[in-house]
Amino acid sequence: MSGSDLRAARIRQTRVLAGFLIVQTMAAVFFVGDVIGDLIADPGSTHFIFEALVTAALVLGVVFGAFALRRTIETMRAQEAALSVARGELAQVIGEQFTEWRLTQAERDVGMLALKGLDVAEIAELRGAAQGTVRAQLTRIYAKAGVSGRAQFAAFFVEDLLGEGVRPAAPAAPAASA
Amino acid sequence: MVASLPRAAAATPGPDSGPRLWDPVVRMSHWGIALIVLFNAVLDQGGSTFHVTLGWIGMALLALRILWGFAGPAEARFAAFPPRPAAALAHMGALRRGLPRRYRSHNPAGAMMAYALWALLAVVMATGLIMTGGRTPMRIAEENAAVAAGDWSVLVKAGKTGEDGGGTLKTTAAEVHEMAANLVLILVLLHVAGVAVESRALGRNLLAPMLTGGRRK
Repeated sequence: MSGSDLRAARIRQTRVLAGFLIVQTMAAVFFVGDVIGDLIADPGSTHFIFEALVTAALVLGVVFGAFALRRTIETMRAQEAALSVARGELAQVIGEQFTEWRLTQAERDVGMLALKGLDVAEIAELRGAAQGTVRAQLTRIYAKAGVSGRAQFAAFFVEDLLGEGVRPAAPAAPAASA
Repeated sequence: MVASLPRAAAATPGPDSGPRLWDPVVRMSHWGIALIVLFNAVLDQGGSTFHVTLGWIGMALLALRILWGFAGPAEARFAAFPPRPAAALAHMGALRRGLPRRYRSHNPAGAMMAYALWALLAVVMATGLIMTGGRTPMRIAEENAAVAAGDWSVLVKAGKTGEDGGGTLKTTAAEVHEMAANLVLILVLLHVAGVAVESRALGRNLLAPMLTGGRRK
């Protein structure tokens, strides 16, 4: 899926940045050593002054690079956390809605698979059931949900996301546990 | 559902419950320094250009880790694992009773180990610098090449600094270098043992987050 691709790309990015930062630090440390050597040998020379300036720039680059990398890592983690919360919330909202519709366990499973985009043949294969059974279950799900078919069934949950946030509207509360 | 809202809160686990992961800078500097310690203490010849070069690379890695202790993400920062010897002892007591707490960063005993290793490595590096007169590996290689080409003047210069008082300093430095390096090796063994014991007690693999940085157990 594209979500995990994105994650992998970001992990690779932080790895490359970290590797670059390490190489840069090595260069900085070697140059600092060289500059100190020059300082002892001949502090007034233009060679020393130029090299000291270049080294200072390199060290500053390392420091800023470290802060930039930290920001990248933290942004990545924040996005990951937000994504997993959103995922968990959506799954829960769907589960509650299924409960409200009084779907049986089998219907819940089929409904979830249908929402994930699997077609009748795939669901039947996954569940080891006949296609006719799955088709009948889907029809019952649509009837309980009061939707016309698959598109409307999926749109039911997407609509919530697009509109007023993830939580279902108030009537969900009293209905189910009776 | 009777309690739909509290259930929502319980369903999303807190950030501290998952296994921690180390960022790439921590991991790369950790394994880089581990490799350098292995090479410089056991495998290569002390005083060779290779040995000195590895030492300088280790110096860079240590410097970066220290910078990262201020600039890095939360669990890599020194503030996340302050040196607290008393807490370290308490943690080891808890470990013996088999109920250690979990920490987002290093546990207090691990933190003390990290600081001790860093301090000893700094000593090894500083004494190494004294022994080589602070010359960079590039310069040492140049001088070796010059000597190989028949220009012995660098040896004369090096000999002179040796005579005017540098000699005893260098021998002391060499002694300290050797001793601190041996201590590093001992601490490394303790560190590995500590990770094994802690992993067993917590029932969670502490090595994986340092190897892959992954969230999976």
